Amino acid sequence: VEAGKQRRYGIIDADVHNAIKSRADLLPYLPRVWHEQWLATGAGVSGSYYSPVGVMRRDAIPDDGGSAGSSPAFTLKDHLDRYHIDYAILTGSDVLGISLHPDLDYGNAVAQAYNDWVEDFWLKASPRYRGSILINASDPPAAVREIERVAAREGMLQVIMASASQMPYGQRFYHPIYEAAERHRLPIAIHPGTEGKGVGGAPVPAGYPSRYMEWHNALSVNYIAQINSLVCEGVFVRFPTLKFVAIEGGVAWLPHVMWRMDKNYKSLRASAPWLKGRPSEYIREHVRLTTQPIEEPDEPRNLVRLVEMVGAVDMLMFSSDYPHWDFDNPKTALRGFGADQRRRILWDNAAALYGLRVSSTAKAVA
Amino acid sequence: MQRYLAAKAEDLKDGQMSIVKVRGIELGLIVMGHEYRAYRNICPHEGAPVCRGRIGGMVLPSAVYEYQFDEQQKVLRCPWHGWEFDVMTGESVIDSAVRLRSYPVEVQNGSVYVLLTR
Repeated sequence: VEAGKQRRYGIIDADVHNAIKSRADLLPYLPRVWHEQWLATGAGVSGSYYSPVGVMRRDAIPDDGGSAGSSPAFTLKDHLDRYHIDYAILTGSDVLGISLHPDLDYGNAVAQAYNDWVEDFWLKASPRYRGSILINASDPPAAVREIERVAAREGMLQVIMASASQMPYGQRFYHPIYEAAERHRLPIAIHPGTEGKGVGGAPVPAGYPSRYMEWHNALSVNYIAQINSLVCEGVFVRFPTLKFVAIEGGVAWLPHVMWRMDKNYKSLRASAPWLKGRPSEYIREHVRLTTQPIEEPDEPRNLVRLVEMVGAVDMLMFSSDYPHWDFDNPKTALRGFGADQRRRILWDNAAALYGLRVSSTAKAVA
Repeated sequence: MQRYLAAKAEDLKDGQMSIVKVRGIELGLIVMGHEYRAYRNICPHEGAPVCRGRIGGMVLPSAVYEYQFDEQQKVLRCPWHGWEFDVMTGESVIDSAVRLRSYPVEVQNGSVYVLLTR
């Protein structure tokens, strides 16, 4: 939005990280038996990859201290107001690993505590914050109970789980989660960061990348594997209104994956006879991708051409990843896209998915 | 159309493709009961000798994790990429716009003829 110009549409940021300022903040929501473990280990699933940049933006530390992203008031001011963002979809911080914790009971307890804390600490702080229901994907019956427990709460608009998993997410082990999400009209989102951690196995089938850069480069490999599995296992056939949000997993791989899957469908469809059409059609209808970290070819239009080639403009939802180091600025990240496309990516696609309307706050800042 | 002798009926085995050459064109000739079909032995995809592929039943469209195998619904699977064609119609089982080039067949006095444009 250029200064002085009337804005005709809002911005939804589909990936904003809300951090826990002090582990002790979660204790009121966590059964007593887990307190020492939580204080000592947090989510208890960590990795070995060191980034020289650090994960958190150094300029995003709240005025009153604490880690970046740990103050609802500061995030409003430092991020939402600064960029005229109407809604931030909260995706958590340092908690997704619970799906890869060896102790299912601990993972389930932390998920419940986190969801209650998000409601009290973030969703009640501003209607511009919207929540994601954290689940422990490795325990589907418990994940279903958690969805049932929290789904009706004001401001919760999707289910979130780690993009790393013990087996591909299309497999029927996970289907009860999708059944519950569909019943409550909640999209399922996956978010990276836990690849190679906990009980999830190597980040890529080739093994463990040596350093953070190499690990980070390869995150989209796992996304491809998950989308591939979801389509081929018939998740979108069984759950025809389910939407799946691939957060922070890249965009430019779409043409390759769609074309490869469609080609193989012509040859091998007998091994997935439930597919009623081309795999790419299921991807286009059911999968949404958040934009950050947007690929940056030397010629920005080349990314747009790839997206246009596979009819994927309406699959994209803007995300910033605030307050992480690889943040995308909504004013600059979509520079190759046309004005109409930017509107769809910044607002329309996410508004349609999550049922959001331009807020009074947004109108005020427009 | 010109009639060309393609085979003796007694030489064709029911449900099996025979490769014959008529006027320099390689064809797959098949009889299923009393129905005869002749297809050009070139796959519309990448030019494979499609008629040398396996003929078998078809995995029908089904619900997720259910499998319905129809032994009677015969499909020809191209030996290169596995594209499946309905043996009776020559159509791809997933896209009726994709089809094998077929030729009319006539049978008279134990001889099987294929009709080609002159």
